[in-house]
Amino acid sequence: MSFLGANGPDSLIWWDWVDRHREEIKQATFEHLRLTLIAVAVGFLISGALALVALRYRWTYAPITWITGVLYTIPSLALFVLLVPWTGFTTLTGEIGLVSYTLLILIRNIVAGVDSVPAPVKEAADAMGYRPVRRFFAVDLRLATPTIIAGLRIATVTTIGLVTVTGLIGLGGYGGLINDGIDRTFSTPIVVGAGLSVVMAVTLDVGLAGVERVLTPWARRKVAR
Amino acid sequence: MGAFQDFTEFVTTSSNWWGDRGIVHRSIEHMRLSGASVLAASVIATPAAMFFGHVKRGGLAAQSIVNVGRAIPSFALLALLFPLSLQWGFGLGFWPTLVALVLLAIPPMFTNAYVGVRDVDPAIVEASRGMGMGERQVLLRVETPIAVPLIITGIRLASVQVVATATLGGLFGFNGLGSYIFEGFAQQNDGKLLTGAVGVALLAIATELVFSFIMRRATPWLAPKRDLDLLPPVPVPL
Amino acid sequence: MSKRFPGSRTPAVQELSLELPSGSLAALVGPSGCGKTTTLKMINRLIEPTSGCIEVQGRNVVEMPLHELRRGIGYVIQQTGLFPHKTIAANIATVPSLLGWGKERVRERTQELVDLVGLDPELLRRYPAELSGGQQQRVGVARALAADPPILLMDEPYSAVDPIVRGRLQDELIALQARVHKTIVLVTHDIDEAIKLADHIAILNVGGVLEQFGPPADLLRAPANEFVANFLGRERALKRMALLRVRDVELVSGPVVEVSASVEESFKVMADHGVDWLGLRDGDRLLGWAWAADLDGVRSLGDIATEPFRAWVRPDTPLREALDLIVDSSTRVAAVFDDEDRYLGMLTIQQIADGMAQ
Repeated sequence: MSFLGANGPDSLIWWDWVDRHREEIKQATFEHLRLTLIAVAVGFLISGALALVALRYRWTYAPITWITGVLYTIPSLALFVLLVPWTGFTTLTGEIGLVSYTLLILIRNIVAGVDSVPAPVKEAADAMGYRPVRRFFAVDLRLATPTIIAGLRIATVTTIGLVTVTGLIGLGGYGGLINDGIDRTFSTPIVVGAGLSVVMAVTLDVGLAGVERVLTPWARRKVAR
Repeated sequence: MGAFQDFTEFVTTSSNWWGDRGIVHRSIEHMRLSGASVLAASVIATPAAMFFGHVKRGGLAAQSIVNVGRAIPSFALLALLFPLSLQWGFGLGFWPTLVALVLLAIPPMFTNAYVGVRDVDPAIVEASRGMGMGERQVLLRVETPIAVPLIITGIRLASVQVVATATLGGLFGFNGLGSYIFEGFAQQNDGKLLTGAVGVALLAIATELVFSFIMRRATPWLAPKRDLDLLPPVPVPL
Repeated sequence: MSKRFPGSRTPAVQELSLELPSGSLAALVGPSGCGKTTTLKMINRLIEPTSGCIEVQGRNVVEMPLHELRRGIGYVIQQTGLFPHKTIAANIATVPSLLGWGKERVRERTQELVDLVGLDPELLRRYPAELSGGQQQRVGVARALAADPPILLMDEPYSAVDPIVRGRLQDELIALQARVHKTIVLVTHDIDEAIKLADHIAILNVGGVLEQFGPPADLLRAPANEFVANFLGRERALKRMALLRVRDVELVSGPVVEVSASVEESFKVMADHGVDWLGLRDGDRLLGWAWAADLDGVRSLGDIATEPFRAWVRPDTPLREALDLIVDSSTRVAAVFDDEDRYLGMLTIQQIADGMAQ
């Protein structure tokens, strides 16, 4: 068994197959990325709204994290399956499950990020005459950026992994390749699906880290001090 | 609500509870596999993590382990191990699933224990050395107890993940609760499908609750903000 | 006014009534729990008073729009409260940009402020975390003064910096105030800081009870009660001496004669003063001094080799410094000169004691 030799169907990865299925792999990549981005974007919007509610009305934080905590705890496959009888083997089923996973991570990070803004900084902003809404966006949210992006990174990488599971309910993406490999006891698509999903996770993670660097120049220089 | 009726019918039929393919046996198998994986992983990961945390080395390695661990989809890991297992003659079912689950459980356990020990207040460590403790004593009597909450959190994270992923073992001949789901897919049987899903969900939630209870008992000094205990922990960033 | 926090049985500040003179620096001093910070924060309504009225320049603050009130009051705190995500320049420009100033005007103002507080302009492009504690505190003051507010509130501004830097920052504040003449309200628990910086001190007791209010020298001379006396601490006379100046006491002419005077007259002056040394002057100029023994057999005072007075002081020299020079000198007096080095008179320990007693 060799990784690089152009042997045959029995090797861990058979390059001829990869070569012949380029189009299919490209399609899977596109699908995987689409499912991931929709889930993270929708999750971020819902989390943002819920975090605002939790920050404004503190008593709602406990129930919000409770509910999202249960959603986070239910295994992904179980959640997809629980939805299948009602929403079928559709993208909607997949996205509901994927989005519900991002909520706890994102809400917690947004709230924790805003909470961690030092009290003296908020007080100084108030004392200089910032109106509350302006202060929230110009000071609190800006300073929470690193924590919020840390949440986005975890949510994104987790989602990319979970999207492979949606292959089991018939959605495309790398999960489809892996599923195909399992059905035929043929390791090449499994290796390709797993490998490319790792590549996608690392790429998006590094990309988000870059976004964070651009958005938080003050944090960058602190290290160089 | 036909699916719901199928479900209630399935779980109220007593023959579905007993025997090799019954709910009881499959639940026990699911828990047995999960427990064994978590135990094996913690024996491997925790001492090493505590050692590296104590000497404050290997931060990069820890970071890489957790990043790779997070990036490799558990489904893909499981899927990869089976062809290998077949090639090397370990067959299907319990053992290859166990290996995959152990590999999955190691990263969160390692990271949390590592960070827990590494981030103990240096002043406390220095005071301990000042009182004449040796390195071993510092690690075992001071750093470990202080790191216990994070160590438990790591095991909790890993356990819930393991319970969830053990479901996928059903694809590869492991006779746990996941088998209902894949049988349900194959036979288009909503009753089986939901039985598996509900069973796995309950087991995962129960795992969280058990660990929040353990956490409470193990760390009586963390009296405030008890209400957050019940929430599933989110992975610690390094 | 009064402040009672919800859930608290005793008010944090009870029936406090104070009038702070404008253009001068008033310090609120007291032990922790005396409500000094609460009082300060009620001025810019970071804390709303429960009852009573606070007027700033004749306007009741409770009736002013919150942001308008606050943009007209500078605010400096111990932890600086600088925005970690903004450069020093942007931090300083916070209030001007809230007020909608033009770019060029903001830039000019920033330059002015950097000069005023003694910051290196090089630092403008840095972030707060890259600055030392003392530099951050200067930025905090510059930011508070940015829109030239008539009032400046300072809450323990120097408590977090080390004593050497603190002393320097205090000196800078004195120099700054001499230029800008703001109405400054300073909260501190350090009575020596208050004595050094303030024109008026309000000593508060637990519950916001005003124990005494007045210029520091008055408090030191006549503490209203035991609490104030204890708070002012030991060596009150010495602390007060640091505040009074040579001009505050009466000078004596001393055993000094014109250089043209006769030797006999000199001995008479020495006898009158009961000393065995003689000062010589030539009109406005003080030439020096000599021992009585040096006068033996001298025909003219002009022939004597005099020694210079070691203790030279000016009218604005603090008495404490003058006293230090006096006890260190051979003649036990300090000679006082004006800015053109014209001789004004002699200062003795007796003079200081008499002046302090007034």
